[in-house]
Amino acid sequence: MARNKFDVDETLETPFDIRHLKRALIYVGRYKKKVALSLSLSAVAVIIGLLSPLIVQNAIDNYMSSTDTIPQLLLSGLGVLSCIVISVVFSKLRSKMMTQVGQDIVYDIRKDLFEHMQRLSFEYYDSRPHGKILTRIINYINSISDLMTNGLINFILEIFNLIFITIFMFFVCWQLALVTMAGLPIFAIVMLTIKNHQRKAWQQVSNKSSNMNAYLHESIVGVKISQIFTREEENAEINDKLAKAYKKSWIKAVSYSNLVWPTTDIISIIVRAGIFGVGLLCLGDVITLGTILAMTDYSARFWQPLMNLSNLMNTFINAVAYLERIFEMMDEPVTVDDIENAEEMPQIKGDVHFKNVTFAYDEGINILEDLSFDVKAGESIALVGPTGAGKTTIVNLISRFYNINSGTVSIDNSDISKVTLKSLRSQMGIMLQDSFIFSGTIRDNIKYGNLDATDEQVRAACKIVGIDDYIMSQKDGYDTVVNERGAGLSQGQKQLIAFARTIVSDPKILVLDEATSSIDAKTERYLQNGLNHLLKGRTSFIIAHRLSTVRNCDRIMYISNKGITEAGTHDELMARKGDYYKLYTAQSV
Amino acid sequence: MFLFRWLWKNMKGCRGIYIVALFITLICQSMYILTPYFTQQITDTFIVNENAAENLQNHSDTLIAMLFAMVGFTLLRGILQYSGNLMYEHSSQKLIYNVRKVLFDNIEKQDAAFYNIYRTGDIMTRVTGDLEMVRHSVAWIIKTMLECVVLFSVSLIFFFSIDWLMALCLIALTPVIMFITWLFKRRVGPMYVELRERLSIMNTAAEENISGNRVIKAFAREDHEMKRFDECSKAYSTANKNAAFMWLKFFPYLEITAQALSVVMLVCGGLFVIGGRISFGEYTAFSGLIWTLSNPMRTLGNIVNDLQRFTASANKIIEVYYGSPRILTRSDAVDKPERFEGRVEFEHVSFSYGKTKVLDDVSFEVNPGETVVIMGETGSGKTTLIDLIPRIYDVESGAVKVDGINVTNLKLEQLRGNIGVATQDVLLYSDTIDGNICFGDTSMSEEDVQKYAKAADADGFIQRLSDGYNTIVGERGVGLSGGQKQRISLARALAVKPAILILDDTTSAVDLETEKHIQDALNSLDFQCTKIIVAQRISTSRNADKIIVIKDGKILEQGTHDELITQNGYYREVYELQK
Repeated sequence: MARNKFDVDETLETPFDIRHLKRALIYVGRYKKKVALSLSLSAVAVIIGLLSPLIVQNAIDNYMSSTDTIPQLLLSGLGVLSCIVISVVFSKLRSKMMTQVGQDIVYDIRKDLFEHMQRLSFEYYDSRPHGKILTRIINYINSISDLMTNGLINFILEIFNLIFITIFMFFVCWQLALVTMAGLPIFAIVMLTIKNHQRKAWQQVSNKSSNMNAYLHESIVGVKISQIFTREEENAEINDKLAKAYKKSWIKAVSYSNLVWPTTDIISIIVRAGIFGVGLLCLGDVITLGTILAMTDYSARFWQPLMNLSNLMNTFINAVAYLERIFEMMDEPVTVDDIENAEEMPQIKGDVHFKNVTFAYDEGINILEDLSFDVKAGESIALVGPTGAGKTTIVNLISRFYNINSGTVSIDNSDISKVTLKSLRSQMGIMLQDSFIFSGTIRDNIKYGNLDATDEQVRAACKIVGIDDYIMSQKDGYDTVVNERGAGLSQGQKQLIAFARTIVSDPKILVLDEATSSIDAKTERYLQNGLNHLLKGRTSFIIAHRLSTVRNCDRIMYISNKGITEAGTHDELMARKGDYYKLYTAQSV
Repeated sequence: MFLFRWLWKNMKGCRGIYIVALFITLICQSMYILTPYFTQQITDTFIVNENAAENLQNHSDTLIAMLFAMVGFTLLRGILQYSGNLMYEHSSQKLIYNVRKVLFDNIEKQDAAFYNIYRTGDIMTRVTGDLEMVRHSVAWIIKTMLECVVLFSVSLIFFFSIDWLMALCLIALTPVIMFITWLFKRRVGPMYVELRERLSIMNTAAEENISGNRVIKAFAREDHEMKRFDECSKAYSTANKNAAFMWLKFFPYLEITAQALSVVMLVCGGLFVIGGRISFGEYTAFSGLIWTLSNPMRTLGNIVNDLQRFTASANKIIEVYYGSPRILTRSDAVDKPERFEGRVEFEHVSFSYGKTKVLDDVSFEVNPGETVVIMGETGSGKTTLIDLIPRIYDVESGAVKVDGINVTNLKLEQLRGNIGVATQDVLLYSDTIDGNICFGDTSMSEEDVQKYAKAADADGFIQRLSDGYNTIVGERGVGLSGGQKQRISLARALAVKPAILILDDTTSAVDLETEKHIQDALNSLDFQCTKIIVAQRISTSRNADKIIVIKDGKILEQGTHDELITQNGYYREVYELQK
């Protein structure tokens, strides 16, 4: 699979697509009532806001010449004040509503993205730095909240404004209205030119910030390695390079974005000069001077919304660079997914069948070829063989972490590709090579295997794996807080906790993938006793290099050369004097 | 003020440009007040003047000149403004670039004590979201503040020069605005602290979800995760709303008070006109410029809002910015540039995590070139013990010495430069395999990379990968099997040709044949090196010069294989188990 690393931009192939916008509008659509209401509130606020200049004008014209009109003057003041109060209260209501809507939309998008993320397979997570995924779900989505909160409403309002004033202008003087509009083509050309560059530039910014964050993330996770290898300076240089690239891309993007406002400003002033010029020099006989004055005023009012719109356009283009990425991730195909009308996996008995299974991670390089075997319910199977032969792959296929290229994997006669993933996986207990510990209490970590587990069950599981004593010796016992790095816990202890986590899930099929590699021989022997008890009645697959662990399994499969080369009990395989025999004798001291 | 001093300190390299930008803001702001002047002149001369028609007839060239001047003036202002804005962008980017650099360096240098407190998602929040807030404030908040101050004071002077009483009436409302703003500031501050806390929590939740994606799928816990994340996301959303609502709660008062200036203008101004205190012309002048007072007033709330947000973020950054690691090179450290011999001594070493004693009075020594195997039960302190050699932790009491010098007296870089470690929890970078192996020495030739990969018995499987040594491995080396990762990690440790090689259970996931190969390779390295190996297998320990068995932080047994199997202790027991 093609993998991405921190200093490689994730190129976006698709050209700008109006569907992104439509798709964003679908999210807005869920709140259309509130949006419509906000819009009406704003309209009222604007209209009332327009009233006060009229009152002021009237007061200036009529009530300022004699002392007799002082009451009217005061009354006018009161009138203006009420207009202000009403319009402010309305804008507050509108802002409150739109803040709510905007935040809810952001929340919705994040929720959808996160849910989609949960369905993506290992391949997705394995093929790019985790920091890049993180940047999308957190930073990118935060970047669009501005647009969602006020952008849309303002956009609609400004458009209305524009239409309103255009009609008005033509009504007053069509000749000068045309002069005002003459600026539009220039405006459009400039905007379109800037827009193309701007979009690319902001895409670059999103790329560069993603790269930078990915590297930062890796550096935090891998800090111990960096320190041990005294790589601090070199890492700082890499970070520096990424930060510089980001800075450069940002400056480039804003040097386009910042052009928008002054350009619009200048065009509007040129237009105003045009009105004076044309009005006074050419149309002197046709129109009154008052009209010219009025028209300069209206042209200002015509260009103001355009300026606001071009600013909105900036926000919009900026946000689209992020939206594209968000939607791209939402469209990331779910390679391992429930088929249509997938059935629930019935309660698993434990028969496992592989029939002519062929599988490859990368096309053309088969890991497993035409593999077939049957396991009866309750059997314990050990998978041994050289590293990289495909042992982990086999167990991963039982849980359907990957889709096979051909053949079938079935459990109790149900083809696992035809049942829901949840019903399948929730009946399996898989202990992976790396024992990831979530931040939280030890109890929470163990209960992750079974959210309904009682404290007794948790403790019983810990006793089986032999870590109960250690946990109880901690001040807070099972409520001891561990963090993502499992600080304070040794690798072996983490494995034991992960083991207990698997035990409480009470799986029908148990998979142990090097589950005890970091556990010392003595603890393991202890564990073995508990495990034997646990394995009774369950189908189990055990991958281990320590042959003492696998010796007691019902059947041992030697995996190499893209399939099973030897299978049988320990004694049978020893008698055969093949690969297993060689492996076993190499280990004996 | 501390925060501003901190900003200033970090603006090294862009202070000049920033000051120029502030000046440009000053000029632009003044030009902004002057723009109506042109329209005014044209109107006065050619439209409302009693000789307007005549002027137009005789001085149409003046009109054209004035129109050009108007456009030219705006063009000049536009250019100034554009360059000013870019200067703000430049300097704010430079600032966060500087801060980011320090943060990154600091994060890289932090010790385990730091990483036990700060979670990955939390650190990420500080360097991403919080830093963005700082950028925003330097680029825009300070600029806006300056604009407001300039506008307000210039027009105030203008107003006072016309009529002091009228001016006083107009600024009568200023204290009210100040007071409301002050109230607002006190209330909104904590909300922004809460908001960014929520962001950090959400970031952490997402980060763990991504890192733990395998476990989540293995337990089919997607629903649980969605619920968990949903709570964080909702809390963040709510915090966002709360902060915005707090602003909206005060907004009407601020806005109404600011806009009420026009009422004051109308009523007081009107009365003064009636009373003959000011002329009608003066009234028009006042009312035409009333926005220069009310705009700064209404912006004040916004500025305070942003400043509170900035403070909440900046404080979080500063915490990491000034947080110095405890494990540092001492100023009186011995300079030892030559290659170390590789003698390692532990003298009565004790160490605790918090209150839990992990190592208790551990003493032993390893001669240059020797191989020592450390064994012991899970959680007995093996990893801690070896972590003390490259100073991942510092001892609590006693001393760890390398080549006879206490490690705390050595230069950290020289000490670590002589040690190669393959850690238990293998962490590879999302880079090529080649890049991962030459991690400790990027100048290494391809042949050398391959040589060490061969020593770690990794060359074979690497060659079989689609892109060989140029195959990009995922973060944490996902996509490779446990044993393959361990072998790359081993090759990486060997590639620095260390004087002291520490292997922490590095071969636990490799098969026995591979292990044998690796052992042979370790015995025939082309450089002298002391090997300290944590292992569970007797096959590893049987040829070691010394075996140390630890139990509950104390040395339980010490000796060679032959010595220890004659004792009826732990080692003997393990030997029997593996026989």
